Amino acid sequence: MGGFRTIAARLRGLFRKRRLEEDLDAELRQHLELLAQENIRRGMSPEEARHAAKREFGGVEQTKEHYRDQRGLPILDGLLQDIRFGLRMLGKRPGPTFVVVLTLAIGIGANTAIFTAVHSVLLQSLPFPKADRLAIIWSILGSEGRAPASGPELETLRQRSRLFEDLGAIWAQSGVLMGEGEPEQVRLGMVTANFLGILGTNPQLGRFFERGEQGSGSPRVMIISDGLWRRRFGADPQWIGQTVRLNGQPVTIVGVMPPGFRIIFPEGSSVPPEMDAYVPFRSNLASDPADQSYLRVTGRLRAGVSIAQAQQEMDTLAGQIRAEYNTFADPPLSLQVVPLQADVVRNIRPALLALFGGAGLVLLIACVNVANLLLVRANERTLEMALRTAMGAGRGRLIRQLLTESVLVSCCGAVAALGFGWCALRLVLAMQPKEMDRFSAIQMNPPVFAFTFAIAIAAGVLFGLAPAFGARKLDLARSLKDTRQTGTRSGSRQRNLLVISEVALGFVLLIGAGLMLRTFVRLLQVNPGFDATNVLTFRISVASVKYQTDDAAVQFFRKLKENLSRMPGVEAVGVISHLPFDDTLPNWYGFYWCEGASKHEQNTTMADFRSSLPGYFKSMGVTFLSGRDFDDHDVAENLHLAIIDDTVAQEAWLGQDAVGKLVNIENGNFVRDTAQVIGVVKHLQYHTLTDQVRGQIYLLYPQAIRTHMAVTLKSSANTQMLVPLVRQQVAGLDKDLPIYHVQPMADYVESARRQARFVTMLAGIMGGIALLLACIGIYAVTMYSVLQRMREIGVRTALGAAPRQLFALVLRQSMFPIALGLLAGFVLSLLLTPFLSSLLFGVRPTDITTFGVSALILSTAGLIACLLPARRATRVDPMIALRYE
Amino acid sequence: MAASRGEVLQGTLDLIVLKTLDALGPLHGYGIAMRIKQVSEDLLKLNQGTLYPALLRLEQRGWISSKWGVSENNRKAKYYSLTRAGRKQLAAEAASWERMSALMSRLLQGAEGA
Repeated sequence: MGGFRTIAARLRGLFRKRRLEEDLDAELRQHLELLAQENIRRGMSPEEARHAAKREFGGVEQTKEHYRDQRGLPILDGLLQDIRFGLRMLGKRPGPTFVVVLTLAIGIGANTAIFTAVHSVLLQSLPFPKADRLAIIWSILGSEGRAPASGPELETLRQRSRLFEDLGAIWAQSGVLMGEGEPEQVRLGMVTANFLGILGTNPQLGRFFERGEQGSGSPRVMIISDGLWRRRFGADPQWIGQTVRLNGQPVTIVGVMPPGFRIIFPEGSSVPPEMDAYVPFRSNLASDPADQSYLRVTGRLRAGVSIAQAQQEMDTLAGQIRAEYNTFADPPLSLQVVPLQADVVRNIRPALLALFGGAGLVLLIACVNVANLLLVRANERTLEMALRTAMGAGRGRLIRQLLTESVLVSCCGAVAALGFGWCALRLVLAMQPKEMDRFSAIQMNPPVFAFTFAIAIAAGVLFGLAPAFGARKLDLARSLKDTRQTGTRSGSRQRNLLVISEVALGFVLLIGAGLMLRTFVRLLQVNPGFDATNVLTFRISVASVKYQTDDAAVQFFRKLKENLSRMPGVEAVGVISHLPFDDTLPNWYGFYWCEGASKHEQNTTMADFRSSLPGYFKSMGVTFLSGRDFDDHDVAENLHLAIIDDTVAQEAWLGQDAVGKLVNIENGNFVRDTAQVIGVVKHLQYHTLTDQVRGQIYLLYPQAIRTHMAVTLKSSANTQMLVPLVRQQVAGLDKDLPIYHVQPMADYVESARRQARFVTMLAGIMGGIALLLACIGIYAVTMYSVLQRMREIGVRTALGAAPRQLFALVLRQSMFPIALGLLAGFVLSLLLTPFLSSLLFGVRPTDITTFGVSALILSTAGLIACLLPARRATRVDPMIALRYE
Repeated sequence: MAASRGEVLQGTLDLIVLKTLDALGPLHGYGIAMRIKQVSEDLLKLNQGTLYPALLRLEQRGWISSKWGVSENNRKAKYYSLTRAGRKQLAAEAASWERMSALMSRLLQGAEGA
């Protein structure tokens, strides 16, 4: 009862302050007058009477202060007052304020930028309705990693799963869209009819596929993306229900997905985010061969079902599949259920978290710097604080005032940080690794603003605490008397502590940046097995009716190769089914074995299969270890030949010459075949620069027909000049055939280094900022302590200390906390760097060189920061210094 | 005990003020202070200034109300008077105080007797 009324009364007290203040004044004055009159009546002189009245009344100002505390909401009331006062104080010293705000803007801004990415990528759920219930199901065969599923697998899971609402699958392909203008290569999502429904985003026009629209003999239908609809169909709703030609077949458009809709699947799943169109599978999945794995399976869990429960169910179902299909018994099949979101971010997560941690350290260093500046200010303000205490301000009130000021400063910093963070975010986005491309909207939003101000306030409290604690220990009488305070012991200890923590944090950051830099250098040194210099690549697809027969496709590529080879400057031309580091096409891989291997040995080892024509290895500068390349004669004769890499050679024929051996492989149509090995080449890094995934087996194109191929052109000069000529040549052969992904091979290699480059750049920038801030901090602390000790130094000079000795004295005393900081940073780094290990390559988290060089850089920088103050100490004029008081 | 003799606990001061207003009717701050001084016969060392935050507190709780009037020396003065809620509060607090003081005196006498 009283509580509410009191608060209401206090809220009223916040307003009409002047009036209330006048009333209070009048009331108290009246009281004192009456007291004095009474005293006069008792026979005192008027003077005496007034004094006695004041004694009896107690401190008028204290009373007023208590009264005001009671009248308003002291916290809010005080806050407004503190803010007004704080702003005045800040405005009075624009220079230091600017430095503080700038330091904070950098510290907070770095966090804002990284948090924006962390928020969009790691925290925000995927842009599908109830995305937390979406899961991916990977098939794992024996020791092989995560793989797609086959038709029978998917159908079994769909029929028997009780915990998934529904399960569906996608397979990324491409197709050629014809009619209405130029033929266009489109990215095609082959899907189960329920797939888009499982993701849950409704089409903006038309409808999802229906159950009967999947499988052989079903009507040909297509759902298109907003992009394709706008680009090709002029955003005309009339196109729903119309028929277009896809790969030469008539297809009816039944729906248009909304703008911004993307398939967000994990990196390495060979499902690119941007699809132009979706068509249902035209084969009967249940009767697919069990060993044809190409389906990327996703499912929607029933409400309330956990991943662990779903995993249990899938374990049971995997057991049933192993029992029912020979293919899955040996090596044994297991199924892995992963939340879609977690799977999508699993590669980028450690990098983002590490950068987020780094940004946090930068902010801490910034805080330490600001705390140092405020500490200096607090020393200068001792007199002010003492006066205010004498006037009746409580300790709590003073601390609150100091904290308000620092939070005020940090909020100014936060505003500046939003600007700085925005710029930093541009930088982050410009360098963002592939994994982040999947997230369409990485932008600052209200949660980011809230985060920025939250850390600003936290930082304000953090760096405001140091001076506030100084205020706590105020010795009133001494401070008031001794207006020219010299540095106190606790003050210098506090400042040394700041230097120690600054150096320690900076050391950790430098080591982190150093480790990333070494990783990146190692990545630059990695030999991917080929030479990307002056190699132009493009993709081309012969999916249309013109090339229905294998022969037509073979003839086309032979002719194309021939024509391209004749172009000026072209040294070699290759045709290959899969380019290194190009993950826009599904990978093609399967079991292989030496011809004649026992049944038991057959399904044990997998290799990546590649289909190629003569010239690929030459164009890519791949070394032959033995044997030879395919030649035109092989193509003409349609021979069953294979070229293997050294990995396969060692796995299958260790210690023997593999050339001439027979290998059992899978041809382009998923049919087993035998080929003779005619050459062994060096292994090529296809997937990442760092991991050796599988061996490679290259098959001759006529035996392994694929519709989507890539062409590699090695030229003697700049490849960009070739682009228009290449287009001419292709159009000369078939003007309806589009070429796409025209780019230098070096770009693919570059893309494989993007994540490392991204982390290295940002870590380097953070390390640089940390170093700079640490130097500024060390400089400020040392300079301040020299200025404070002017008198002492003056005495020393007067007593005959040589400048050299003074110089050494200052250096010695300021290098001591730096050394302690390095020690602390060393311990801290040993604890923290292991968290980076998943980002590192070719360097250990406790790499001694990195630690050593970082320590050297930091101590040198620290030394330089101390030089100026030390020189200042040698120039003290004893006369002036002694008269300083 | 840290509280030295003669210092007033907050709750006690509230009760004294309420009782004073109950007994004497509307009074200004000075009047209340004088009354307390007179009744306590200087046993209670009260900085008269502390009375004012207490008066404000009681007013905020709605137990007393204030009005500007004219004092004995013909000056503007703020007069405080008990409200109905204040009267109830006084009764409740007086009763609880009596219980407490009876308990305390029994306890202290008992302690002496033992």
